[in-house]
Amino acid sequence: MDVNIINPVLAAFKEVLPQIGIQNVEKKGIALSSSVFTYTGVLLNIAVVGSIKGVILIGMEEEHAKKFASKMMMGMELAEFDELAQSAISEMGNMVCANACTQFSKVDVSGLDISPPTLLMSKESGKVTIPVPKTVVIDLLCDDIPVKLYVGLM
Amino acid sequence: MAAIKVMIVDDSPFSRTLIADSLRDGGYDVVGETDSLEEAIDIYNKTKPDVITMDIAMPDHDGFEVSRALLHNDPNAKIILSSSMKDEETEMEAKRIGISGYVQKPVEANILFQVIDKVLSPDNLYQDLLNSGLETFKEALSQNVTRMAKTPVSFKDIGAAMDEPYTSSGVTSVIGIIGQYTGTLIMDLSAETADNIAQAILHRPPKSNDETLAMVSELANIIGGRACSMLNMKEKALGLRVSPPSMFHGNSAELVSPSVKIEHAVAKTDYGEIFLGVGFKKGSTLWM
Repeated sequence: MDVNIINPVLAAFKEVLPQIGIQNVEKKGIALSSSVFTYTGVLLNIAVVGSIKGVILIGMEEEHAKKFASKMMMGMELAEFDELAQSAISEMGNMVCANACTQFSKVDVSGLDISPPTLLMSKESGKVTIPVPKTVVIDLLCDDIPVKLYVGLM
Repeated sequence: MAAIKVMIVDDSPFSRTLIADSLRDGGYDVVGETDSLEEAIDIYNKTKPDVITMDIAMPDHDGFEVSRALLHNDPNAKIILSSSMKDEETEMEAKRIGISGYVQKPVEANILFQVIDKVLSPDNLYQDLLNSGLETFKEALSQNVTRMAKTPVSFKDIGAAMDEPYTSSGVTSVIGIIGQYTGTLIMDLSAETADNIAQAILHRPPKSNDETLAMVSELANIIGGRACSMLNMKEKALGLRVSPPSMFHGNSAELVSPSVKIEHAVAKTDYGEIFLGVGFKKGSTLWM
């Protein structure tokens, strides 16, 4: 497993989240998966293009995504995972991935750019096939909110 | 006409005075000066400046952080970075955040005025892309589906905004677009249509779902790549490039793209319908 691919993304989470209301980011587990995996709930897709390319996905159960968005909005109660919450989660992904590009430039991988985020929501289990052979799946606990981070970069 | 209102964010009183004096001499209205994030937002909301000049190196929060906060507060805020640094990574970072322009320090008054002028004038390149974007992607889809699957293609619902959330038909390709502007391409079809098209292209039934999926992914990749190179040929400055597609399948998910307004068309083929959605976002930076 190439830690040089994962560390800049983790560093980005640890740097950006405290700026938007989430204080602690803990890595709970890490696994290598193929290019196909399943998800339920909320999944954010952001493409990366440059000298390395691929995709970064951030997944959460819907309830957890609501809690995450609520924290980003200074504790505002959210009855549903509505437009405002969707926008907050997308913005978080955008900020984290933009910052990851900056982290990559510190290890001499520069000139990366990211696409706007696309958010998928599904109550039933869905499949994802990403365009690189291997995915690193990292389980994070962000202020007690479980978050799955999928890094498929090469 | 009222003077253009400018707010200056810089930690050096000397730099602030220099920039403010040049601006006042040029007929601009300097509505506020600060070196802090909180005060920047406060002044912005009270005075609604047309433009903000932003230093990068500041004591508590750097210019990128303050810019992020200002753009979070108002996505339409027009920020011009003023910095002595001018390197590729600073440019990329500024672009990713959505900063509108850049001037190198020490700031020359006439250059600053030119950048303010450009930042506030309508972005014709972007307008042209919005006007011709969907049409070009339709053309690329039509050409390639006709060529590969030998079916006539016609379109309906052309140019309508995508329902948000959009409910997928079962097999969705999402492609990221990078360049002078960034964007998203969504191609969506049912599993049955995907199988029919795979069969037409392969001249035999697909051996597995994986084979169908690989074919749809390749088709989306070709359409995205072809459309972007057609747009680049018309306008070199766009420099559009595509990411390979992420494929979402096996269920009917809801999709939203909160930062981009997706326009769509539905392609009608002998094998079923293909949803084609495309949208772009400004993140351009003027560097002078």
